[in-house]
Amino acid sequence: MKNSDSRVLEVRVISAEDLSVNRRQPLKKNAFVVIKSEAQKIEAATTVDKDGGSYPSWDEKFSVDMPMHSRYLTAEVRCRGGAGGDRLIGSAKIPVTDFLGGLVPENYLHFLSYRLWDYNGERNGIINLSVRVVKGSPAAKVGFNAGGASCSSTQPWAGVPVADKVSSGGTVTGIPVW
Amino acid sequence: MGGCFSDVKGGQQAVGGGAHKQNGGAFTSAATEHNDAVDGFFRAKGLQTLYTQIELTLSAEKLRDRDIISKSDPMAVVFAKRRDGTLEELGRTEVIMNNLDPAWIKKISLDYQFETVQPLVFHVYDVDTQYHNIPAKMLKLEAQDFLGETTCVLSEVVTRRNRTLTLDLHNRNGSGLKKLGSLTVQAEETSASRSAVEITFRCSHLDNKDLFSKSDPFLRISRIAESGSYIPICKTEAINNNLNPVWKPLCLTANQYGTKDNPLIIECYDFNSSGNHVLIGKLQKTVAELENLHKTRTGANLLSPPTRLRGVEKVTQGQLFVDGYVEKPLFTFLDYISSGFELNFMVAVDFTASNGDPRRSDSLHYINPSGQLNAYQQAIVEVGEVLQFYDSDRRFPAWGFGGKMYGGSVSHCFNLTGSSTEFEVTGVEGIMAAYATTLYNVSLSGPTMFGPVITKAAEIAGHSLSLSHNKYFVLLIITDGVLTDLKETIDSLVKASDLPLSILIVGVGDADFKQMEILDADGGQRLESSTGRIATRDIVQFVPMREVYGRQLSVVQSLLEELPGQFLSYMRSRDIKPHPLNLGQASTTTNPCVV
Repeated sequence: MKNSDSRVLEVRVISAEDLSVNRRQPLKKNAFVVIKSEAQKIEAATTVDKDGGSYPSWDEKFSVDMPMHSRYLTAEVRCRGGAGGDRLIGSAKIPVTDFLGGLVPENYLHFLSYRLWDYNGERNGIINLSVRVVKGSPAAKVGFNAGGASCSSTQPWAGVPVADKVSSGGTVTGIPVW
Repeated sequence: MGGCFSDVKGGQQAVGGGAHKQNGGAFTSAATEHNDAVDGFFRAKGLQTLYTQIELTLSAEKLRDRDIISKSDPMAVVFAKRRDGTLEELGRTEVIMNNLDPAWIKKISLDYQFETVQPLVFHVYDVDTQYHNIPAKMLKLEAQDFLGETTCVLSEVVTRRNRTLTLDLHNRNGSGLKKLGSLTVQAEETSASRSAVEITFRCSHLDNKDLFSKSDPFLRISRIAESGSYIPICKTEAINNNLNPVWKPLCLTANQYGTKDNPLIIECYDFNSSGNHVLIGKLQKTVAELENLHKTRTGANLLSPPTRLRGVEKVTQGQLFVDGYVEKPLFTFLDYISSGFELNFMVAVDFTASNGDPRRSDSLHYINPSGQLNAYQQAIVEVGEVLQFYDSDRRFPAWGFGGKMYGGSVSHCFNLTGSSTEFEVTGVEGIMAAYATTLYNVSLSGPTMFGPVITKAAEIAGHSLSLSHNKYFVLLIITDGVLTDLKETIDSLVKASDLPLSILIVGVGDADFKQMEILDADGGQRLESSTGRIATRDIVQFVPMREVYGRQLSVVQSLLEELPGQFLSYMRSRDIKPHPLNLGQASTTTNPCVV
């Protein structure tokens, strides 16, 4: 679990919008969210929102371990049922590339929204969450030296992002240095 | 607002037309003419006023001594310079006797409008002893000795740290042979609506409305509208099966509740999954009264509404308590701007063939030798004029798209500098020069694609985050055409919605701009990428140039209006706070970045 080949993410499940059951009736209550790894293991689950109806909100934070070579997480909105158990309302894939890589700092707080798809592959609402990499790859754990680049306003942008600062901004996928 | 322009007429009479020769801001718009009635309307509806009220405090140093026996008795007058160059008096200070370094007490109030350039002119007079019993307002300015004048733009003041700017005074004709001293202008925001309160409510002994279990209570808070109807502003969660519930804290912003003395209706309902919630009781309290309930730790009884049997309200034994009351500051746009946050301007110009041959006068790219600006130049100047004050180094990335380069290939993102590596130009004049030069060096081609320039702008915005969190980027795209890469453009916009970036699109010419309306998500439909990712916020503003062309409301104002809000939504959602003023350059240390 806590091996060096995983990243630690802080996933905040914020809310969902416009959820329905059987394609047209708005969901009445009891929506909750589970976060699954690529291996379909449940990593986190929110509480049940009893009165949010088809626009539930949770605003709950989780720490999620993500294996280094994993490509996505899945968020599933479910409805807590009575005797019949829980049912799937809709799910969305969260690609790693949406919060890792690119030019932003690795620990950047990403606000992400996704279309949810139901069991039949139909659109069913939207989920809003935020993801932040709390602990990145071991190789990337070098502290940022603020001194050299403190006053950005006096430093002109280079045409192509300067290699020593940016090329590693999250794309140094796991070649541990020790 | 009120007092702002109350003295406009008198000011004009006293000042006269011809005496003022400054003509710095040739492109400025009629800045200070917003409509009192509109303002009043918004205020009556309880909405925040459209503009932020600013108070200017003035002081001067080393003024010229015009009196023989004693020292000068200075008074300062502030004018707004209108587009046509005429001056409107905004107000004047009191007269301070015998002082060459006066610090005036009377403040001059005016409205700060982000979307317009607001040039100000300051005159300093020595008021003659014979007038000393006359109120400053009544003084005839031409009868006073002139001590000097100076000018600046309001944005220059508010973007300063401490919001303080010192200007050298000079003569009417601009010649400054003699030292006439200096004037210091300090701006302060008077808005009271920058606070929010977090309140924790609790109830006790609520009436039971359920048959087999206890009530499932929740609170709904509404403001009373002018018409007498309730406007709900927030509600708590429902707590199951509990007659003594404690709810999670609620956050009310001053925008929502108006003033602390505005009555609010607090209703307690029994939650019913059918949606037919049953009213348990209600009461009316102002925020000030709620604060008092918290201080005194007392409860207020809920009233139950009249029923058919009983014609009057009944006091129930259920009580409302305020367990927590915390006032929280809500930072304003100016709080960020004056603590070192910047708006960085970027431009992308359409060089597709549909604009027409630039050598022909019917081309949208035709550069008129008479100096009359074409639509592209006009958009660059109008947006640039406003934004340049918020960018400390005034170095603006400038690109073109849809043009055929010298080598013969079409590029969808090339530098207007003509260089392959350098993409920044200096100042609005730099953009204008680079634009004109590019028209000679690039042949117009196509198709029209936004994806590459948006991606480039997003790269710059993303890259800046590894250095600091105090920059927000604004990309202006000027185009005449219909997009061929709508899907890619939406994909890049959805990605960019997570970055400190806003995109302004100006449409020129007569094309059908329906697509642009799709990009501008004002309709409430959020942009959805081909992979199912959805924009987290609206970052696009679109205006067609022709619709507002020639009208009083400049195209730019409507384009820029939403920028401060977009800036704030980004900063607040990430809990980025303005730096304390003494923090200086240490901004990056608060946001340690991992490389």
